Amino acid sequence: MQATETVKLILGKGEPLIGRLLTYDALGMRFREVRLRRDPRCPLCGETPVIHDLSLHAETGAACAVTPGHAENSPHAVPAKAG
Amino acid sequence: MKTYRDLVNEAKQVIPEISVEELQAELARGTAPTVIDVRDPDENREGAIEGAIPISRGFLEFKIPDAFPDPETPLVLYCLSGLRSLLAAKALHDLGYRNVASLAGGVRRWKELRLPVVREEPLTPAQLERYSRHLMLAQVGEGGQRQLLRAKVLLIGAGGLGSPTAVYLAAAGVGTLGVIDGDVVDLSNLQRQILHTTPDVGRLKVESARDTIQTMNPDVTVVPYAERLTVDNIERIIKDYDIIVDGSDNFATRYLVNDAAYLLGKPNVHGAIFQFEGMVTVLAPGRGPCYRCLYPSPPPAGLVPS
Repeated sequence: MQATETVKLILGKGEPLIGRLLTYDALGMRFREVRLRRDPRCPLCGETPVIHDLSLHAETGAACAVTPGHAENSPHAVPAKAG
Repeated sequence: MKTYRDLVNEAKQVIPEISVEELQAELARGTAPTVIDVRDPDENREGAIEGAIPISRGFLEFKIPDAFPDPETPLVLYCLSGLRSLLAAKALHDLGYRNVASLAGGVRRWKELRLPVVREEPLTPAQLERYSRHLMLAQVGEGGQRQLLRAKVLLIGAGGLGSPTAVYLAAAGVGTLGVIDGDVVDLSNLQRQILHTTPDVGRLKVESARDTIQTMNPDVTVVPYAERLTVDNIERIIKDYDIIVDGSDNFATRYLVNDAAYLLGKPNVHGAIFQFEGMVTVLAPGRGPCYRCLYPSPPPAGLVPS
């Protein structure tokens, strides 16, 4: 499926899974589609990003969880988003 | 008696013209209509706008209904100077196509503004045969196959996710496949990592990948990176690729790839598997969520194995 999506992106054809998560259960042979939204509080691509380069990855373990709104002017904690 | 100027003026009454600047902006945004090059084949081979579909004016009315059955399909036609494309667009209008524009000034104006053109190498007879099942699809065709051959895709990981993806992309003729994986092939990998075979046990995965792919399809160039992706090498590695395919096996790498791909504007085809379940999505910078939107933090250590 990753290959199919890649080919569609290269050709610019069809509807790629942007904003959609396709899940597949081999045992039940079921596919499910989940709508995904950009998180406006996302630390990378949200409205007030705090990640502007990769320097946080230089420190082991620090990169994975960045609380959205980490900057001084947004002290609010954000509840964990359901995956 | 009329001249071509009269025909052009009649066409201008019903066909809107789009400027080169407007078309270029729409192409950059990904919102452009389908672009059709209506010149003769020998002109098209000299240099065309990337992604344009060549349908010469002589065959236009005959080929268009199969290629684009929906008369509302947004189309932009271009030729050398913008005159033939106006007449061609008027012909489509007469057929009932209501969303056709003509590129003012044509590809001559495009080149005046120093915008890039691609000089297409025609497919060889062997390629016409190999990819014939692609060429007969309206959504692909020769132009699409050439796009595949020009594309550069980086596969993060040549393991459980990367293997089948690599096999299919190579078979399809994606011209450049970067493969990054620091591991060596283990016997227990062979149950699912179909890129590798029994004689490859003990070899570097990227070298096994390169050899398998070369045999499958010599049109594909494999760029092996026998290293782990880190903050020090990732930007240098991914910047030359069009699309990233994330088949990595740990969360730290997933976040690193996500951030780097986003910051460099690369779409990331993200996949994950665990036992009998799989999931796939496309993380496209500016068009949809990123990995952090979905998973602000990784699951507790030990809950999900790497």
